[in-house]
Amino acid sequence: MSRIFGIDLGTTNSLIAVMDGPHPRVVSDPASGAALLPSVVAILPAGGVAVGERAIEMEPHLMAEKDGTVAPAGLPGTDQGAVIRSVKRYMGLGGTDLAEGDRKRYVFTELDGPVVRFKIGERVYTPPQISAEILRALKTRAETALGESVERVVITVPAYFNDAQRQATRDAGRLAGLTVERLVNEPTAASLAYGLHKMAAGRVAVYDLGGGTFDISILTLREGIFEVVATNGDTHLGGDDIDHLILELMLEGLPDDVRNERRVWNSARQVAEDGKRRLSEQERVDLRLELPGRTVERVLTRDQLERLAEPLVERTLKCCRTALRDARLETGEIDAVVLVGGATRMPLVRRRVGELFGREPLCSLDPDQVVALGAAVQAGILMGDRDDLLLLDVVPLSLGIETMGGVTERLIHRNTTIPTSVTEMFTTAADSQTHVDIHVLQGERELARDCRSLARFKLGPIEPKPAGVPRIAVTFLIDANGILHVMANEEETGAGHMVEVKPSYGLTEEEIERMLEEAIDHGEDDIEQRLLIAARNDAEQILAALGKQLKEWGHLATDDECRRFSEVAARLEAVRKGEDRELIAGTVQELNDLSTPFAERIMDEAIRRTLEKRSVEDLP
Amino acid sequence: MVRCSACGHGPLNSLLCPHCGAPQAVEVDCFAALGIPRKLVIDTRRLERIYHELSRKLHPDRFAARGVQLRDASLKSTALLTRAYRTLRDPVARGRYWLELLGEKLGDNNRVPPGLAATVFQVQEELEELREAHSTGAGRVAELVAGVAKCRKDLEVQLGKELAALEENFMRWDENGSQDRTPLIAALKERLSRIAYLKTLVRDVEHHLEEAAPA
Repeated sequence: MSRIFGIDLGTTNSLIAVMDGPHPRVVSDPASGAALLPSVVAILPAGGVAVGERAIEMEPHLMAEKDGTVAPAGLPGTDQGAVIRSVKRYMGLGGTDLAEGDRKRYVFTELDGPVVRFKIGERVYTPPQISAEILRALKTRAETALGESVERVVITVPAYFNDAQRQATRDAGRLAGLTVERLVNEPTAASLAYGLHKMAAGRVAVYDLGGGTFDISILTLREGIFEVVATNGDTHLGGDDIDHLILELMLEGLPDDVRNERRVWNSARQVAEDGKRRLSEQERVDLRLELPGRTVERVLTRDQLERLAEPLVERTLKCCRTALRDARLETGEIDAVVLVGGATRMPLVRRRVGELFGREPLCSLDPDQVVALGAAVQAGILMGDRDDLLLLDVVPLSLGIETMGGVTERLIHRNTTIPTSVTEMFTTAADSQTHVDIHVLQGERELARDCRSLARFKLGPIEPKPAGVPRIAVTFLIDANGILHVMANEEETGAGHMVEVKPSYGLTEEEIERMLEEAIDHGEDDIEQRLLIAARNDAEQILAALGKQLKEWGHLATDDECRRFSEVAARLEAVRKGEDRELIAGTVQELNDLSTPFAERIMDEAIRRTLEKRSVEDLP
Repeated sequence: MVRCSACGHGPLNSLLCPHCGAPQAVEVDCFAALGIPRKLVIDTRRLERIYHELSRKLHPDRFAARGVQLRDASLKSTALLTRAYRTLRDPVARGRYWLELLGEKLGDNNRVPPGLAATVFQVQEELEELREAHSTGAGRVAELVAGVAKCRKDLEVQLGKELAALEENFMRWDENGSQDRTPLIAALKERLSRIAYLKTLVRDVEHHLEEAAPA
């Protein structure tokens, strides 16, 4: 049987890792050597896809430009494709879960449906389909690098992912042609990466500050058994919030119409993020934002950044204290602190976390890789290679059902070790009732309407009987992936007969089947599309290069050449945005041939000048 | 009685076949799930070790590459094991489960258990005062918060005493042998409802303290 790989399917970046003897290692891209695959997916005009750096490269080509500003990708009526970032944020969401900001960014369809759908021109994609493309790219990367097939995987999810988000992640795996052997909580996986099991016994805290979310997990460790005792977190708190504060600082005082321009905002965000990174090494940095017609320059010191970030870090520490209280531990009782997520590179974070737990956090592993490495260790456990280790994870949110008056009755409490199950008895409220509706909820609030509606199940058919007579035993089982299964039995004759249970959320089996059939075409279409983009890039490059050469070395071209250059360049300019790849490539070739003698003359001239200069320098 | 689904060994009253080691999707009580005698006094450190040992053998991670039937049995038996461990590890849950096994039920929490009336009255009064001061913004909030915090401490001390006494209830039960159980059941019920009531009270006090805490 093939090996199991560990995948960190992240919001910003994704990675794939595997056990290499006794140690896990990340599989880098064989071509570029990069360990991280940006979680960016480009849906190309003719239906193909590009993932990662290639998707980022295509972003400028795929943005709908209108009146000088960049409009949301995938505008209705346009079919030029779109670039989707941070698809993880949309996993497991229904249309009504979308915020206004989301609708500004992408175009969605079926907003009243159970699953969010991106609309790109005439085409529609669900988040699991987009995530599947990232998984597929990781699979291809590992297969190319290692020369073995990748079929079975462990995928990590944030500890705070609810049932729908976990289901969606598993669906994504299936759509990518992978067998998802296990979903593991990211912080829990991270605890495996450091080889802490060498301690006979101890308590571990995993502090995970990602781009958009914060998680804290407390584990106890005894003879190779990692047992999660408490988790906590904030799904709306991350490194991006810190970038945002710096961005606000930079855009301060600019007129609203400039601030609101998407392109301005995007480049400001990049400058902010870059500044934050550099401040982890340096004491002060110059932030420089180029805008049309002006340049914004600001100096930011580490002190200033830390004052800005302090309240956010304090919020993470509050979650840590709650988790410790749930685990019935004092801050001084933690034996090891593991840091996860790029934002934990900030000295402020390391210092505060160290102070809270009274010990230096572990940071010898790259905080961007530690989750994937842990996933690979878990894969090793599943393959039976590490039977000295076992991970006992917990359910992050309480599970309950709605009872009379809209009150939540909790059946499984948060932080309960999984797998776990509970059985409840149900009966009918009216005579001859043939179905019983059960509303399953996830969350900590007293009222059903304040919890997340997980599923509505219809139990039945039940044989018609007087009210209260039928006895239906319903078992709610949460498996090791944190996914809920519901089974029901009518206990009338003691033999018990299975009652059908129909969930009402996520993708149905039929929908997944259909998506598998209609899988995004990765064949010729994709290659054709890639070649088209490549031809367009070539056109852009040669036009820019020629323009630059004429400006600098124009005296080396004859008048006749200049006239012919501008004629062909104008033609190329006209065709390069079209769909006819061969015409673009042909015109590029034509211009290339035409300009070659000119380019050779430039080269000669440049060499001559260099030699002249050197001979002067060489003089004694 | 059921037999092992893998090798046919039986009858079985455990989650793990003693003959072939296959996990079993069978309904057993919490004590059988952990393979320990039906006693109320439990050494929780030893219980944890047993739980870990059984987890190593039953957990779905050990059966990832095996057949559907084994995987299913592993999932169900581990779920039951976990539930059994959580029930028996916590003395209050264990006591309640014990009553359940005897077909007894704890009364509802709304009636103030005998002996707690004075405490309850005093706590409620202090909470009421705090609530009022907090909503009107009167200046005594800090002083009242200190009073309520002391209440919480007192309640926790009392809760601690009740929990220690619960262990005595357990011991008396285990030593009772075959004598009349009626007085033991009554005593256990009373103890558990006092604990449940005190716990609710502590939660209530904590809730008020959080509300009153400066944002």
